[in-house]
Amino acid sequence: MIELRGLTKSFGANTVLNGIDLDVKRGESLVVIGGSGTGKSVLLKCILGLIDPDSGTIRIDSQDVTRIPRQALLSRFGMLFQGGALFDSLPVWQNVAFRQLKGRMPRAIAKAHAIETLARVGLPARTADLYPAELSGGMQKRAALARAIAAQPEVIFFDEPTAGLDPIMAGVINDLIREAVTDLGATAITITHDMTTVRTVADRITLLHGGLLRWVGAVADLDQSGDAYVDQFIHGRSQGPITALR
Amino acid sequence: MILVSPLARLGHWALGLLAGIGRFSTFTLDAISHGIRPPFHGREIALAFLQIGWLSLPVVGLTALFTGGALALQIYAGGNRFGAEAVVPQIVAIGMVRELGPVLVGLMIAARVTSSIAAEIATMKVTEQIDALVTLSTDPMKYLVLPRVLAGLLCVPALVAVGDIIGVMGGWLVATERLGFVSAPYLRNTINFLEPLDIVSSLTKGAVFGFLATLMGCWFGLNSGRGAMGVGRATKGAVVAAAVAILAANLILTEAFFSA
Ligand SMILES: Nc1ncnc2c1ncn2[C@@H]1O[C@H](COP(=O)(O)OP(=O)(O)O)[C@@H](O)[C@H]1O
Ligand SMILES: [Mg+2]
Repeated sequence: MIELRGLTKSFGANTVLNGIDLDVKRGESLVVIGGSGTGKSVLLKCILGLIDPDSGTIRIDSQDVTRIPRQALLSRFGMLFQGGALFDSLPVWQNVAFRQLKGRMPRAIAKAHAIETLARVGLPARTADLYPAELSGGMQKRAALARAIAAQPEVIFFDEPTAGLDPIMAGVINDLIREAVTDLGATAITITHDMTTVRTVADRITLLHGGLLRWVGAVADLDQSGDAYVDQFIHGRSQGPITALR
Repeated sequence: MILVSPLARLGHWALGLLAGIGRFSTFTLDAISHGIRPPFHGREIALAFLQIGWLSLPVVGLTALFTGGALALQIYAGGNRFGAEAVVPQIVAIGMVRELGPVLVGLMIAARVTSSIAAEIATMKVTEQIDALVTLSTDPMKYLVLPRVLAGLLCVPALVAVGDIIGVMGGWLVATERLGFVSAPYLRNTINFLEPLDIVSSLTKGAVFGFLATLMGCWFGLNSGRGAMGVGRATKGAVVAAAVAILAANLILTEAFFSA
């Protein structure tokens, strides 16, 4: 359903993506791993049209994205941003119900629905009327997650969904993402550094390094990938082909 | 090389400037075009009117009051040298309505409104809230820019009208309390002296200044660099650009309205 061919993106002299080819099938859950600053977030933003790639094509349902009206296209997408990106001028429930309120859903119904969605990410109903700045970092992340899944989008992108959460809450979120894919049939791309997330959420995994997807494979093959980069990453070794500056 | 490189740099700079002007013009036209294309975000528009119009009243009133009073004192002192101190009501009226009312309100709006628009939108940009807005199928031009620019265009003339009146009353207060003018003739002189064109020019300036002030806030906010430093730069740039644009527009409008 999502096809990337030869995607490149540089910021000045900094080449971040250097020819990305990727296919994500409908109803599949892909996890992208890779060191920080390797361009994982940039990759998702290119697909959403938030960043214009320098070259390459992005096709969704075999249609070039530059030919599809953007608002119509994005109404099928949900995105959890790495920093949450909640609107701090709106209370939490209006953040979660943002799309429904814009779609003229009656406010009372939208609010009830938002409170339900908040409950699914482990936030109590009393958080609905708070402003994002009144929540802790982990709670903001969960509220943002609620906003991403509230309208039951066909395609959901999760940018580090469990970063900053305690292990139990991370487990809840991992299950939630898995559910969205298995039960609702959503297509998901998840960026994470959390190996538990990788193993719970992924159908397939890919490692982004040096502007390229170095390895793509099924979760069952992760431990026998035969790829030195993947091995170093999943075992968190400081020695290996990926240089860690010290 | 030594000869070419400054020229090349100048050319580079000029091209950058032209590209910037081009992008800003497109942005301006885009903002205007959203004013006639539904859907409109009613709540956002109402909030902008409250923030930009209603809540600016105190600062506008105080600025006008103090300036009108000081103006009366100065005109009295200056006029005294020619035995022309009787013209205080007329000169206060014309000075306030034609120039000081719109310009001071415009500059106060640049200080109060442009800065807050730029800082808010820049922070939204830096924290990916603009990206989130787009992802939720909402056009930032329509959701953020249009309400603010519309409020600037429609509220600032009203603020200027209030400023003009309070400024004239500031002059009246000082003239009657401190300079020995009699209240009723002072007000009669003021009203008889002002012409419709004075008031039309005052309100037109208000609309133009309000448009410029809010537009600059949005433009610099949306084009903010990254991080806290980006927000700071955007805010500073917006206020400076708005103030300079207001003063330049004032000269052009004064020329257009009053040069015979
Ligand atoms: N808007 C931008 N302007 C300039 N550089 C950027 C921008 N966005 C990302 N980058 C750069 O791109 C690289 C990849 O960033 P990112 O995709 O956020 O990394 P990560 O893989 O940790 O998500 C970084 O070096 C970052 O500095
Ligand atoms: Mg990232």
